[in-house]
Amino acid sequence: MRAMYLANYFVAGCIASSLLGWIASLHPMAFRAIAFLLVALGIVWTAAWLLDYSLSQFLKISIQQLQAVLVSVLAFLIIGLGVFLCS
Amino acid sequence: MLLKLIVVSSASLTLWLVPLVGLDKKVGWHKGIQGASLCAALACAVSAGNIARQLADESEIQELKTRAIKADVEDEIATEIYVSQAQRQQEAEAILNPVERLERSLALSCEDEDGTPNVQNEIQAEDAEERRAERVLELKAKGWGKAKIILEVWGVSKGGSQKYKDAETLYERLIRGET
Repeated sequence: MRAMYLANYFVAGCIASSLLGWIASLHPMAFRAIAFLLVALGIVWTAAWLLDYSLSQFLKISIQQLQAVLVSVLAFLIIGLGVFLCS
Repeated sequence: MLLKLIVVSSASLTLWLVPLVGLDKKVGWHKGIQGASLCAALACAVSAGNIARQLADESEIQELKTRAIKADVEDEIATEIYVSQAQRQQEAEAILNPVERLERSLALSCEDEDGTPNVQNEIQAEDAEERRAERVLELKAKGWGKAKIILEVWGVSKGGSQKYKDAETLYERLIRGET
């Protein structure tokens, strides 16, 4: 059951990424805003990889859990945007 | 609950993929439907995740309860085994050692109300008297003197003390053959 709820949240992340892509396709300004959001997210994601030890202590989770979350974020962004762009 | 979870998860996947694949992005109302379905799919996925998490927590609690019940049962069984083992041991001791029990009951029945055992004390006193008489006669045969024998047997040195006088009386009786 734990795997199921993690999978559902993962799917929710994928759908959110597709929604971001859809919002970006509405208007050039929206596209820029989403692009900025994605760039900011990328910077935060990279910083989280670099500061994984401190961040795991701050969030009180293990490094493995933090890394799993980061990989999942990357995966659902790629899948969600990929599905939107390829459809 | 599980059925609801499955339905909501399937709905989220359907609402996510079908409009994106089936509808044209260049058509205005298609695009609107895609956006609406994406929002609905996101809501379905989040609610499905919440339901699944709730179920996972419940199953974890249930598992803990089951473990606790199992531990209780094991503890109860272990206690019963221990108690029955102790009972069996007591019964075995009772069967195997009746002589000791009889002796104990006899010793208890021989004691007075104030706790002084009279019969045994009398027996012990008689034994001590006999041993003392034997010792006196033995020392007398060796040629020891009265004072020395009294000192050896009663532990009282010669003098005018009451103890020595009592010991002397007893010595005289023993020598005369009175017991």
